[in-house]
Amino acid sequence: MFDNNVFIADSCKNVEENGNVIGYEMKTNITYYRGIPLSMVEYVKVAADGEEVPAEDIRISLDQEDWFTLKEAETVTTYKWEYGEPLYVRVLKEGGLSKGTHKVKLTVATRTAYIPVPLEGIKEREVEIA
Amino acid sequence: MSDIKACVSLYSLQDEYLNKRMSLSDIMHFVKEQGAEGVEILPDQMIKGSPYASDEEIANWNKLVEETSLTPVIADVFLNTNLYKNRTLTKKECIELLTAEIIQAHKMGIHLIRLVSMVPYWVLEPLMPVCEKYDVALAIEVHAAMAFDVQATKEFLDEVKRLDSKYAGIVIDTGIFCRRFPRVVRAYETNNGTSPQVFDYIDTLFEKGTDLHAVLLENHFQYPPELEAACQTEHDKMFVPLCDGYENLPFEVLDEYMPYIYHFHFKLFEMTEEGPEYSMDYKALLQYLHEHDYHGYVSTEYEGNRFTLPGTPMQEKKQVAMQQAYIQKCLKEIYG
Repeated sequence: MFDNNVFIADSCKNVEENGNVIGYEMKTNITYYRGIPLSMVEYVKVAADGEEVPAEDIRISLDQEDWFTLKEAETVTTYKWEYGEPLYVRVLKEGGLSKGTHKVKLTVATRTAYIPVPLEGIKEREVEIA
Repeated sequence: MSDIKACVSLYSLQDEYLNKRMSLSDIMHFVKEQGAEGVEILPDQMIKGSPYASDEEIANWNKLVEETSLTPVIADVFLNTNLYKNRTLTKKECIELLTAEIIQAHKMGIHLIRLVSMVPYWVLEPLMPVCEKYDVALAIEVHAAMAFDVQATKEFLDEVKRLDSKYAGIVIDTGIFCRRFPRVVRAYETNNGTSPQVFDYIDTLFEKGTDLHAVLLENHFQYPPELEAACQTEHDKMFVPLCDGYENLPFEVLDEYMPYIYHFHFKLFEMTEEGPEYSMDYKALLQYLHEHDYHGYVSTEYEGNRFTLPGTPMQEKKQVAMQQAYIQKCLKEIYG
């Protein structure tokens, strides 16, 4: 239902820290029609070229300053993911994605206040790494 | 004599906002240009930091209200009872969250809050003193698939009647008055792989004056043989329960609740070129409300946005404009 919100186009790139490529990241809008505290993110999944990324390698952030593991995010109630503002999803992977074209699939699910099942959005994009 | 006024819920323009084609200011001015008197907002959608928005954020809202001279009618509020993964919020936490929402509504010049369906009834009584202090009423939403037959809604409606306070009321979503299943939903979902036979079956129910929600309820959530036959795949079977949010109730279900109804969401799936909405008869409903002396707003709530086919343009502005023109025409016919 919210597939159109997931994975903002042209947002996927490798991340460099202190001269080393530590992984890759992408941006996504919320899979809901309103903002919610980060603790209400039910799950985030990333698959690159058909291979599922282990959950413990994923970090998420709203401001690119404070990063949370998915487990930590379960108690993060003071940071609100606003409607219309991106969530940064980072995958820790030494060397990041290799140069060339990759298929990256992002899945984001949020808990709502009144629907028993989480609202999921899925989008796979072809990503060009320069 | 009734007093029915036109309003637009900013929910209707969410995709314009999300994708930054329109700012909150653009949207407010657009609503004004459509001739609506009132505006409805989801603070969690367009007021950053809700329900603890900054003074600056609130001042910006109040400036837009003043600039457009729209009446800020109602705030659509949610209660995050599932804020945590491992437990449900306690009663005290729920009251605290809703108190913050009431105070924020007050700061925004709003005197009515729509509580989303399934909010527990027991929040109401402890919040009455807060509502009185800030002059903000709370109204539970009655929405298709979560309407009069659902326990949580029944309990809340009973509580509204028991308290009999001007600070406790009801919001009706007109998705309970669908006379046909929305064809934009059918088109979107068949494109996603649901078999047309499922929708053919649902259409036959509407033709008989009933709906899928009622039929599933009557059958204790077992699929009747005709529905089993309509389902061609496992996906169809899984998907069917998600099609029950469109009810076909007579307007008379409102009779006993009219004194408590403070607001209407005029749900909109598709305004057709000929004028009326594909599934709902707004004109007949407005006539009913007029005859039952309704005082309040009827608010455009466009939901066709989420059923926009891939590759086709978003029609939020066009659909809102068409529905407002139609409703205002109907009101003119009523009031002369």
